Amino acid sequence: MELSDANLQTLTEYLNKTLDPDPAVRRPAEKFLESVEGSQNYPLLLLTLLEKSQENVIKVCASVTFKNYIKRNWRIVEDEPNKICESDRVAIKAHIVPLMLSSPEQIQKQLSDAISIIGREDFPQKWPDLLTEMVDRFQSGDFHVINGVLRTAHSLFKRYRHEFKSNELWTEIKLVLDAFALPLTNLFKATIELCSTHANDASALKVLFSSLILIAKLFYSLNFQDLPEFFEDNMETWMTNFHSLLTLDNKLVQTDDEEEAGLLELLKSQICDNAALYAQKYDEEFQPYLPRFVTAIWNLLVTTGQEVKYDLLVSNAIQFLASVCERPHYKHLFEDQNTLTSICEKVIVPNMEFRAADEEAFEDNSEEYIRRDLEGSDIDTRRRAACDLVRGLCKFFEGPVTGIFSGYVNSMLQEYAKNPSVNWKHKDAAIYLVTSLASKAQTQKHGITQANELVNLTEFFVNHIQPDLKSASVNEFPVLKADGIKYIMIFRNQVPKEQLLVSIPLLINHLQAESIVVHTYAAHALERLFTMRGTNNTTLITAAEMAPFVEVLLTNLFKALTLPGSSENEYIMKAIMRSFSLLQESIIPYIPSVITQLTQKLLAVSKNPSKPHFNHYMFESICLSIRITCRANPDAVGSFEEALFMVFTEILRNDVQEFIPYVFQVMSLLLEMHKNEIPSSYMALFPHLLQPVLWERTGNIPPLVRLLQAYLERGANTIASAAADKIPGLLGVFQKLIASKANDHQGFYLLNSIIEHMPPESVDQYRKQIFILLFQRLQNSKTTKFIKSFLVFINLYCVKYGALALQEIFDSIQPKMFGMVLEKIIIPEIQKVSGQVEKKICAVGITKILTECPPMMDTEYTKLWTPLLQALIGLFELPEDDTIPDEEHFIDIEDTPGYQTAFSQLAFAGKKEHDPVGQMVNNPRIHLAQSLHKLSTACPGRVPSMLSTSLNAEALQYLQGYLQAASVTLL
Amino acid sequence: MSAVNEQSGRMRKFKNKGKDTAALRRQRAEVNIELRKAKKDEQILKRRSISFRLMEESLSLGEDKINEVVQLSLEEIAKAVNGSNTELQLQATQATRRMLSRQKDPPINQIIKLGIIPRLVEFLARADSAPLQFEAAWALTNIASGTSDHTRAVVEEGAIPAFISLLSSPHMHISEQAVWALGNIAGDGPLYRDALINCNAIPPLLALVSPVTPIGFLRNITWTLSNLCRNKNPYPPLDAVKKILPVLICLVEHEDKDIISDSCWAVSYLTDSANDRIQIVVDTGILPRLVELMASPELIIMTPALRAIGNVVTGTDEQTQAAIDAGVLAVLPSLLRHAKPTIQKEAAWALSNIAAGPCQQIQQLITCGLLPPLVELLDKGDFKAQKEAVWAVANFTTGGTVEQVVELIQSGVLRPLLNLLLAKDSKTILVILDAISNMFLAAEKLGETERLCLLVEELDGLEKIEALQTHDNNMIYRAALNIIEKYFSGEENPDLQPGTTQDGLYDFSVEKQDFNF
Repeated sequence: MELSDANLQTLTEYLNKTLDPDPAVRRPAEKFLESVEGSQNYPLLLLTLLEKSQENVIKVCASVTFKNYIKRNWRIVEDEPNKICESDRVAIKAHIVPLMLSSPEQIQKQLSDAISIIGREDFPQKWPDLLTEMVDRFQSGDFHVINGVLRTAHSLFKRYRHEFKSNELWTEIKLVLDAFALPLTNLFKATIELCSTHANDASALKVLFSSLILIAKLFYSLNFQDLPEFFEDNMETWMTNFHSLLTLDNKLVQTDDEEEAGLLELLKSQICDNAALYAQKYDEEFQPYLPRFVTAIWNLLVTTGQEVKYDLLVSNAIQFLASVCERPHYKHLFEDQNTLTSICEKVIVPNMEFRAADEEAFEDNSEEYIRRDLEGSDIDTRRRAACDLVRGLCKFFEGPVTGIFSGYVNSMLQEYAKNPSVNWKHKDAAIYLVTSLASKAQTQKHGITQANELVNLTEFFVNHIQPDLKSASVNEFPVLKADGIKYIMIFRNQVPKEQLLVSIPLLINHLQAESIVVHTYAAHALERLFTMRGTNNTTLITAAEMAPFVEVLLTNLFKALTLPGSSENEYIMKAIMRSFSLLQESIIPYIPSVITQLTQKLLAVSKNPSKPHFNHYMFESICLSIRITCRANPDAVGSFEEALFMVFTEILRNDVQEFIPYVFQVMSLLLEMHKNEIPSSYMALFPHLLQPVLWERTGNIPPLVRLLQAYLERGANTIASAAADKIPGLLGVFQKLIASKANDHQGFYLLNSIIEHMPPESVDQYRKQIFILLFQRLQNSKTTKFIKSFLVFINLYCVKYGALALQEIFDSIQPKMFGMVLEKIIIPEIQKVSGQVEKKICAVGITKILTECPPMMDTEYTKLWTPLLQALIGLFELPEDDTIPDEEHFIDIEDTPGYQTAFSQLAFAGKKEHDPVGQMVNNPRIHLAQSLHKLSTACPGRVPSMLSTSLNAEALQYLQGYLQAASVTLL
Repeated sequence: MSAVNEQSGRMRKFKNKGKDTAALRRQRAEVNIELRKAKKDEQILKRRSISFRLMEESLSLGEDKINEVVQLSLEEIAKAVNGSNTELQLQATQATRRMLSRQKDPPINQIIKLGIIPRLVEFLARADSAPLQFEAAWALTNIASGTSDHTRAVVEEGAIPAFISLLSSPHMHISEQAVWALGNIAGDGPLYRDALINCNAIPPLLALVSPVTPIGFLRNITWTLSNLCRNKNPYPPLDAVKKILPVLICLVEHEDKDIISDSCWAVSYLTDSANDRIQIVVDTGILPRLVELMASPELIIMTPALRAIGNVVTGTDEQTQAAIDAGVLAVLPSLLRHAKPTIQKEAAWALSNIAAGPCQQIQQLITCGLLPPLVELLDKGDFKAQKEAVWAVANFTTGGTVEQVVELIQSGVLRPLLNLLLAKDSKTILVILDAISNMFLAAEKLGETERLCLLVEELDGLEKIEALQTHDNNMIYRAALNIIEKYFSGEENPDLQPGTTQDGLYDFSVEKQDFNF
């Protein structure tokens, strides 16, 4: 492409079209631009346009297109063609800086971004003049230009804040410091001077303050990796000026906006960051300046208002104090009683107040409020910062601080008592203060785990929390109600049990509150109380203690789901699940109503599942209903099926992907409840379960395998007689699973069930194929996991069909196959098998091979007899071999595309561990001894001679132990 | 160390291949570029000029009769030096020397431009006039004490062999001056150091050491010897080292603190190198003395002794064991608590390298009571020292047995370690995350994962790790995410979650449980 007017014209037209709202016009234009962007001069045409086009919209569009082009193409990737020709690269680098600086702000930003992308690749080696080119502009006196340079520099240097130290990085930083540090310092001083000469010129100040912010940010980046010599030598200049800027105020730079932070706030906030950086990393050098900053920052806090726009500044400033006051050598700055009092009074208490913005969130944005307040995503808030400062101060001054605050708490409570409806916020602050003072360590699971011993939590609870919760109206002072409930929740391990029991009906009552926060907290508090552990691993609160409240609890929980805004409230649903689990059979009388409500809910949310946690707990609750009821009355399973199958069919028909794995799990649970032959309703569904489309979704695989296993357990005979034509399909599923490194173990689960439960003749014709398939996989891509599963399977097969059958089928596939598998797989790898049941299956299988397989005694396989016995004794006695070959470590990355796919296993749909050899063999070591004894009686003399020639001494000793324990001897 | 190296280093750990000690032990100066100001007490000077004050202290000459000195202009100096009158030459050379001995801005460049250096070098050989030899040697010493360019100006005129000859001068003050000059030249870098060695400077230099050598002279010799041991790329030739070492062993037993200090510095240079070099030093049996000196109340002695021992423990397990046997673990606690941040840092660095050893050495570290000072340092130390302490913890958790890691956790390491996740240093954060992962691996083996989870959460570690999931550094973000996903994801009740195998797969074999609430 030439740099011609015609081409500029064409490009203008296409750029114009890319702005067209009609995709039919826009798409082809975008395609066209993409198709020509590889041509020489294309980027230069864009630069020409963004500089010279008559239309502003084209200028902007060209600048955006240019930046995106740079983003996509500038980096030279190894082994890929260079996408921008060298002369264009040179030309871009030669022109872009002046062009950026002379452009209006909108375009300047795009070009500045482009420069930093180029800089990331080319700076400093391939763009040596960039720095001097930028620094020269500092002399220009034009702050529009200067800010352009500063912004670009910031985007180039900010990576110094997070990259690891390396020679390359530090060489670059040194280069930057040499060229940039002095001019930046001079610019800093000059800018500050200009601020005082233009102290009455609002628009000038605005530009100058923008520069100061950028300068302060650059300072942070340049000082991040280590304290540069230059800045150490010039610390006086920088810190003195930073300090005076912290104390500066000028009405002209204040903003009216209450929400958005203004320039002054941003600048001071960055200065707090800079001071914090020095205090943390360069303490030795910064020490002389630190006390001044502590004072300045503290004064700043005392004089800064409550508006939201100051939030970042205030929380940064408080965090600075919090980090300093914990250091032993700065302890003296805080220890004076007056200082402590004034920090508590003027910094901490005001920032703990419930503000209008909090009140708004409480009412109108409850979900966000709960998330912040309950789940701790409040890191940047003032309250949180104040709380951290309390904790920091308590490290050295727990006694005095507790004393000071006790006074405040009392006076705030008195204020409240005078006129609750006006002064309720005082009580809120008092509760918050007590909470932050008392809590030294906290977890979601247990609430507060370490408390300040100087605070009497129970007394406060009885005198100030319970009265609020006992008040007749659940809707009065909702914030205080929420505070009270939260208090119970977090101090549940500190408050004695009898007080918790008193609280339970109060909490149940507050499930009816209109405020979303209040009834959510009530549900959450109940749920937390129900999970507390008492002695002997039981729950602290027992079902018996809950007996009087069962009905009202269940009623209120389900009613809470009908309150506005809470129809899919996960806290309530979780409380339902936890209540079922705690109350057990006492919920049975209410099940008919409960299951109706749950199925209605299920039907409703299946239209558009949006709350994964809610849904999960809902299914858990359904499972619990089934288990609890059917344990008492097995016949009830039918009524559950009646209630649920209609909705399940609906879900399957509409392919509600989020719910399908849950449905399979619930169905497995129901099917396993049947004691007799499989019902026909299940059999009708069987063919559908083998549909490949279901198996394509990773999340379906575990629950579907589980469901098919339930089918095989209960209905193997029915399948063999009524659905024999589906057996290849079933094995097809096995084949599909076995082919995947990620899912092969699932395939083995299925295969094991088939072997264990299907009548032998029904799978006879497929057996050889199954083994061939397994051997192929073993040959082509064996993994440790596969081998482990394979070993369990062949031994299960051996247990089921006999060792001779195993040997015959192996050798029918290929002569000597049996020996090869013994020698190459079983003997060397058996030690890897893990799991009690798995090991037992292998032990019994191998015992059979040793003692019930004639070819082991009188063919060339005989030489493997002792090694196999030795391996078996190893399996009994040696620690498990959990080494995994190197290449398998990252197997999940390549081979499990579905790793992220949600399969949420339902705990309450859980299955009992199944031990297929359980009845046959109790102690596998004794079983081995007995079997050997039997073998030795059949061929006297052979066994002892094989043992004495090649079994190692240690193994022999173990074996003698087994023989003794079984009271047998070998003949 | 590049990110790639770092990555493979981490991979090694993930694979639990048994740790690679070579990778865990960190040699001094991973980064050769320094942004910081060089701190005077951390290093002895590479070069020293001789000011009047210094001169009076060290060379008790007393012949400098200030009042009698003739003031000469540069032109006059040049003329006189280039002339043939010995008296004038002496006068001019002395005037030159005086100018160069000014403490503030000696006019080295002007003197070089004057072109008189070749003559001054010639004067060194003027055995007929000892004063002239002395003045020339002094002037040249001070020129060589400037920048590298200044040193070169002296060396290129053939000063090295001339000064080496002067070592054997019958006049002690002249040979001392030669020692000084050679020290400055050797201090310039490996090139001139080896030039000196190749000119056979060592034997005459060592010959000057005797029981009767005056202290001041001996100090200078020691300093020059230390410069001959100094610098890497390449290291000083092996046979030179072997010649110097026996003398250093004697000097380190001296009672003068400057002599001890400089000989310790020399040893510290020799040990700041590959393991075979460290071995040569270890073989001399000097370690017990170095450890004793580490405990010296004199900062100038403690600093280099600590550095030397710190270097030794970057070596093999056996070399580290030699330092342990010499008693280093008994001295480290007080150094970890030292008031000076640089001492804390060096001590913690040494500790981190000992912690990188096999579990037997880690056990000794526990037995000798190093855990409490380590935890204190993590909590309250200077940041530079905290960083090293973090490495110590990470190495400990990599190589320690499960029981040892438990002991570490019980010693209270978690709170300060987790607090340091707020550090403004990416590497430190990553190393902490690594240590935390290692602790979780240990907890898993004991079935105590949940307890550790709670502990981490109680100490506000969870929210810090969560916040790191948005860190700009990719490796940090991934490491944090990995811990969260593996140990803290989702529910507070792990029973509700599907388990995963090591491969990240759903693991049903362990999931099949009987739930009986």
